[in-house]
Amino acid sequence: MADKNDVILEVRNLKKYFKSPTGTLHAVDGVNFSIRKGETLGLVGESGCGKSTIGRLILGLHQATSGEILFNGRNICEMNKKQLHALRSDLQIIFQDPFSSLNPRMSIGEIIGEPLLIHNKVHGKAELNAEVARLMDVVGLSARLFNAYPHELDGGRRQRVGIARALSLKPQFIVCDEPVSSLDVSIQAQVLNLLKDLQAEFGLTYLFITHDLSVVKFFSDKIAVMYLGQLVETADSTELFQNTLHPYSQALLSAIPAPSSRQKMQRVKLIGELQSPIDPEPGCRFAKRCLYAKERCTGQDLALRDFGKGHFCACCQAGELAGNPNFN
Amino acid sequence: MDDKKKLETAAPEGSAPYAQAPDTLLDIRDLRVEYHTDEDVVYAVNGLDLTIGKGESLGLVGETGAGKTTTALSVLRLIADPPGKIVDGEIWFEGENMLRAKPGRLREIRGSKISVIFQDPMTSLNPVYSVGDQIAEVIHQHEKCSREEGRKKAGDMLEMVGIPRARYDEYPHQFSGGMKQRVVIAMSIACSPELILADEPTTALDVTIQAQVLELMSELKEKLRTSLLLITHDLGVVAQVCDRVAIMYAGEIVESGTIAEVFDHPHHPYTIGLFGSIPSLDETAEKLKPIRGQMPDPTVLPEGCAFAPRCPYAVETCRAQRVEMTSAGGTHLVRCLAHQGVFQAPELMEEVRHGR
Repeated sequence: MADKNDVILEVRNLKKYFKSPTGTLHAVDGVNFSIRKGETLGLVGESGCGKSTIGRLILGLHQATSGEILFNGRNICEMNKKQLHALRSDLQIIFQDPFSSLNPRMSIGEIIGEPLLIHNKVHGKAELNAEVARLMDVVGLSARLFNAYPHELDGGRRQRVGIARALSLKPQFIVCDEPVSSLDVSIQAQVLNLLKDLQAEFGLTYLFITHDLSVVKFFSDKIAVMYLGQLVETADSTELFQNTLHPYSQALLSAIPAPSSRQKMQRVKLIGELQSPIDPEPGCRFAKRCLYAKERCTGQDLALRDFGKGHFCACCQAGELAGNPNFN
Repeated sequence: MDDKKKLETAAPEGSAPYAQAPDTLLDIRDLRVEYHTDEDVVYAVNGLDLTIGKGESLGLVGETGAGKTTTALSVLRLIADPPGKIVDGEIWFEGENMLRAKPGRLREIRGSKISVIFQDPMTSLNPVYSVGDQIAEVIHQHEKCSREEGRKKAGDMLEMVGIPRARYDEYPHQFSGGMKQRVVIAMSIACSPELILADEPTTALDVTIQAQVLELMSELKEKLRTSLLLITHDLGVVAQVCDRVAIMYAGEIVESGTIAEVFDHPHHPYTIGLFGSIPSLDETAEKLKPIRGQMPDPTVLPEGCAFAPRCPYAVETCRAQRVEMTSAGGTHLVRCLAHQGVFQAPELMEEVRHGR
């Protein structure tokens, strides 16, 4: 990182294991990354790769097995309940499902105002209502919905309520966990534009968790590709798409069906399905599905290697594959 | 393509201009479906015309609540009544009006001539029967054959979708999501149907698995020459699998044509809006161009063009009269007054000419 002072969040060798009847589930297994102020890091991967677990670890909703999460230099993993409570006004989350993340018994005004009351940010009902009205205006919710209940709203408006709630404490950092994947495309575009506007207006930093590569390319400055609990490639958004190094990132990119009559889908560039994250063998976790796997891919864990221009990749053959006609 | 030409080829009233094609397999005309609840009537499908030729695959694209699934369920008469009711229209399948068919006849058609693939493979499979037996059940329902023959044929089907025969006796919970969807696909092709209705078959799957399933569906389509009605909200999926596409909005088709026609030069403002809403992988845009507003309430649909309240080009006339489909050249049809020359929308025309 060029300027250490700019870094708002740094994750160091983060691990989270869950015990399961059949063994230990390695949900997050030695992840390192950092995010600078005002930036958006897109975290991409398939379901079950551990991306949401990282989001929850950052908010202190899970206790990490080991590793450090430094937010403005302070380790979240070592905070007590009181410190975590105070932290929430700087760190917020927008959840994927706007249907299950809003309390059905609370009105929209109550939902958006609740964080303000919990953190004693407002004094008196008039101030609370004024602040809630302001937030609703910021996210484009009409004022008449103040007394409405979540079931009266469609998915797009509900997600706006979730965003208003996350914004209410004026946070510096927001974890967006698949904020648009349950929305229709036309509504999805409205919400993405809103999130971008808010970032510019309030200087927000986002960790944007998604499985949708076209959304992440549009939205993020940097992208981290995750596979079975580990990062396999990180790079600037345009760099990752132009100069893909890891066979898994390549497979993900090739799998997106292009909405065009001229671009036909390429052959699928991977074998089989996601392996189990329970007690994984050492070595590259993608090796079993990789078309280019060699003997040296198994046996020992692979760390991210620097390929210049902020491009890191964990594949032991990265760079060598560029000449392969099937690659790219 | 100029505007006058489009007027001349306007569709005759009551029938779509493509309805007379000799190799038509499915022909839906002026379908209207309503759901009656205690308080309201939901107008789910409002005068829908649709045809699918033999061996053709048609993508039906639309957002939540557009009426896509209702259309597919109507074809098989699977709309729950009450609250649903097919109030008007005709559905012709191989020269037979499905809306007049007796329950016994419908049972014969379902699964053997027309089969369905639903979105969620977890709920389409019975958890207490082995996957092989579930496929064999479909075969025994429609064909006279011995247990051994059924078992052999079901095993063949598993292999055709890329699942080893050895897994015949396993249960759904032992399969991953992608594999379960393969089993459902095997069930749907077991009796060599003429038509497969696939309702968001890959929406519940991860992109890499989706790509594998789409590849399988394309292969099977080539091999078996089955017609396909693919319902999805994903324009990418349609472009990769289908020959033709129909864009649906608020219970009616607003634009249809071949993939090249619609994807290269979308005509309807809604279709243009849909394309503007998806982030592109090729170019870096600072902002998306979303469609403003929300889908109309299906209990009180706007008069005239249903898209008018959200349309940046709409004029008073759009809100006053129901709009018919007119030709935009070739097999390309569009339901928009601007394209009929009723009013001038130079910006829209520029957008159309520019294409994608």
